[in-house]
Amino acid sequence: MHRFKIISRVLMFLVFGLFLHYVLPQHDVVQISQAEPRRTDFGSFNRWFYAQADGGSVELPSRDVFYIFTDKKETFLLGFVPRDTTEVMVYRNEDTGWIWPPYFKFDSSNLHGQATSQARKEESSEGGNWAVVTHYGWRIPFMSIFPNAVDMKAISGPDERIIPWFNIFFFIFLMVGIGFLRAMWMQFRERAVDPLLDNAGHRYDEASAEMAERGGRVRRWLNTWRAKDKR
Amino acid sequence: MAFVRLVVFGFMALSVIYLSVAIYSRSVRREKLEDEWAEDNPASTDMAARDVFVGKGIIAYNASFRPKLVGLVYVIPTVIVVAIVYITNTN
Repeated sequence: MHRFKIISRVLMFLVFGLFLHYVLPQHDVVQISQAEPRRTDFGSFNRWFYAQADGGSVELPSRDVFYIFTDKKETFLLGFVPRDTTEVMVYRNEDTGWIWPPYFKFDSSNLHGQATSQARKEESSEGGNWAVVTHYGWRIPFMSIFPNAVDMKAISGPDERIIPWFNIFFFIFLMVGIGFLRAMWMQFRERAVDPLLDNAGHRYDEASAEMAERGGRVRRWLNTWRAKDKR
Repeated sequence: MAFVRLVVFGFMALSVIYLSVAIYSRSVRREKLEDEWAEDNPASTDMAARDVFVGKGIIAYNASFRPKLVGLVYVIPTVIVVAIVYITNTN
């Protein structure tokens, strides 16, 4: 029972962590090589990982989706080993609209324009052709799943320092929220549930004592069949 | 249509939060009043007098500015959403 509790807790934590990892914004330092729309026929599974049609458009089974192709500067290996290499990263660029996840993005066409003009820049041009892409989601090539680029900003070089303000505030808020929820629950228990239980408690105690007595007798009988402690 | 859905469901979710926070806040105040009474009258077993004292305190609380602050539950998320809409859609 104890082990089951631990396992289910770890699983819950893991699922929640993965969920946040998918939904929260992340920042990549990239050089954009191309941005283009491509018709996308969604499968039944990867449909989940695409947004809906642009705000103000009709929802059809397949449609054109903007994609942004980039060379992404790789982040620290395992969080602390710096790397100077790049890898290919492809983003989709879709409106999230008024629905999930709540980025309220309606400017996918503008972002497409921004990405196209960024892709035209030469590496030797003033300020270089580096950009920070804010995105959420995962790249899963097997299922044709792409992260959604939410925002883009031209930067002067690959060594830009990025501070994830939103995530910092989000986690602070999450902690405060959990603390508050806990306080509310404790207050509810103390003021509403415990008095009820106290009233019923006496009768319950008597009944449970009797149950324990009976259970104890069965348990004792079962234990006579167990192997004795080998000391 | 999606906007209407967001408003309707958002309003419902925030109303649930509003109600629970309002109840919680009042409950904390009630507990504080009870503690106050117990401190001032340590030996008293006069429950009726205690209830009158607590009831008066709750009426004063209801009339005060504090419970109105719970209305921020509606205001803050709306402001945050407007801010996100603005920040995301300006380049």
